[in-house]
Amino acid sequence: MAVYKRTYKGYSGGLTPAWSRFLILPRYSFARLFQSKFLLLFFLACYIYPLGCLGYIYLAHNLSFLKAFNVSPNLLKIDGTFFLTFCSFQGAMGYLMTAFVGPSLVSPDLTNNALPLYFCRPFSRAEYVIGRMSVLVYVLSLITWVPGLILFAIQWSLAGWTWAKDNWWIAGGLLVGSAIWIVLLSLIAMAMSAWVKWKVAAGTLIIGIFIAGAGFGAAINSVMRTRYGSLINLSEVIATVWAKLFRVNPTTGIDLFDAWMSLAAACVICLWLLTRKVRAFEVVK
Amino acid sequence: MTAPPPIEQSLVVLDDISRFYGEVLGVNRVTLTIPSGITSLVGPNGSGKTTLMNIITGLVRPTRGSVRILGVTPSEPERLFRLVGYSTQFDSFPKGLTGFQFIYSFLRLFGYDHAECEKLAWKSIERVNLVEAAKRKVAAYSKGMRQRIKLAQALAHDPRVLVLDEPLNGLDPLVRAETIALFRELALEGRHVIVSSHILHEVDMISDQVILLSNGYVVAEGKIQGVRDEIVDHPMEVLIRCNRPAELASKVFHEESVVEARLHADGGGLLIKTRDANRFYRLLNHIALNGIEIESVAPMDDNVNSVYEYLIGGEEPGR
Repeated sequence: MAVYKRTYKGYSGGLTPAWSRFLILPRYSFARLFQSKFLLLFFLACYIYPLGCLGYIYLAHNLSFLKAFNVSPNLLKIDGTFFLTFCSFQGAMGYLMTAFVGPSLVSPDLTNNALPLYFCRPFSRAEYVIGRMSVLVYVLSLITWVPGLILFAIQWSLAGWTWAKDNWWIAGGLLVGSAIWIVLLSLIAMAMSAWVKWKVAAGTLIIGIFIAGAGFGAAINSVMRTRYGSLINLSEVIATVWAKLFRVNPTTGIDLFDAWMSLAAACVICLWLLTRKVRAFEVVK
Repeated sequence: MTAPPPIEQSLVVLDDISRFYGEVLGVNRVTLTIPSGITSLVGPNGSGKTTLMNIITGLVRPTRGSVRILGVTPSEPERLFRLVGYSTQFDSFPKGLTGFQFIYSFLRLFGYDHAECEKLAWKSIERVNLVEAAKRKVAAYSKGMRQRIKLAQALAHDPRVLVLDEPLNGLDPLVRAETIALFRELALEGRHVIVSSHILHEVDMISDQVILLSNGYVVAEGKIQGVRDEIVDHPMEVLIRCNRPAELASKVFHEESVVEARLHADGGGLLIKTRDANRFYRLLNHIALNGIEIESVAPMDDNVNSVYEYLIGGEEPGR
């Protein structure tokens, strides 16, 4: 008969807060992400338009330039439309960035059966999803609302306090509009990455969802003589929300409430797809 | 909730556990009490070994029944996951990490600080003899190294219960012997080491107790000799090495407890099948006193292989 004696002592030191543990997941992701030269170049290319906007803001406040070229100060207006255009352009860049980054988020863990390793630790499925999503949230933030708010701050410093007081909603629009777009793109990317393990196919699918949505939406609209088909065209849906946030009249013809509902439905579907795939074991049928 | 009795705080207790995946049976009506030491799960493919391991590690909730791991239920995951270390049978590694990063990052999920994680990571890497390869990418490891780094991640947070799915698979003989020695060391420290294996002679060698599973049911559990004694349908086989096997055969053949007696192929022994081993051993003592020199008496089928064959039949042990 064996006699066993407990000769070891468990860890008794302090623990990091449970809420912060999701931050461990992106730890090595960034280094791996930017090992790709193409991705690094694309990331840098995402700053070309903000730099152009910066030049535009500078010129709009440069009196000697305006005088020299006889440009009316009203022609170079910095308003909601300016920031809506910024948001739309950077949003499109973010969408392409998602197609490159997104497929490598969940699929490698599923392909390598690594999920049980995460979930046999004090780490929940929600924390896993948030942790993986945070990679995209960081990257997309760096090309959307962060440069947007910097431009807003520069405009504020040049135009003065009165301009900022009258246009504070632009900053809100930049933050909220970018946040919605980032969450939507991240959830779509995660869901596709979870369901399609082949990275190239997952990337194509991320792009395809928007293209197919636009195509099907237009088909439904023309066949059924309705406008509700546009609700599956996520580009038009988000454009409606952005236009309202930047106080510009939307040209999409979609009602704001319907647009919000459409976005919420897309997010719920993605979350449902994620809950079906992100779990510690695979059910073999 | 009432606290479990103190004895339960040192046991893995599964009480009437069933788990169904839709209409597919995982395990059914499993009741087990696993003490510290090395416990092996043996059974063919689809017998429920991995489901049982997933239930013990808290990854799968049973459809019915209750689980207590050293007195902790799966409804307290923060406590449970600190007690349990799990190594899956699959090559489960997040992409692109080195061996050290793999252990370190998973330790961080427990909430330990940087210094503690570094210390624990190196300690577990040393325990599995992978220090030199620790800074290399796991993707470049051999099968045996991957098995060891998986073992290291299961060990790293110093769990009291280790659940290891096929941990010896793919190891070369030397590393296999080292790993078995490590299991023994861990068991001697008072930990529960629960392993599944399809290599039956190894299970025989390393296990303090064995759990045999078939089609989701526990077919037998306990120390292997004890399990063998319970199998009355199959007479026990005993090899007696002696100087006059033919004479011994004639003496034992008319005994009621002896079912079969045949000379060993090498002529130096006698193979006996008996339904009452204790009675036969007493008889043997009597015979030994009457001039036949008996060199050795060895039971031939009180090992996992035979027990498996008798209880589960021709099904191949699962991987």
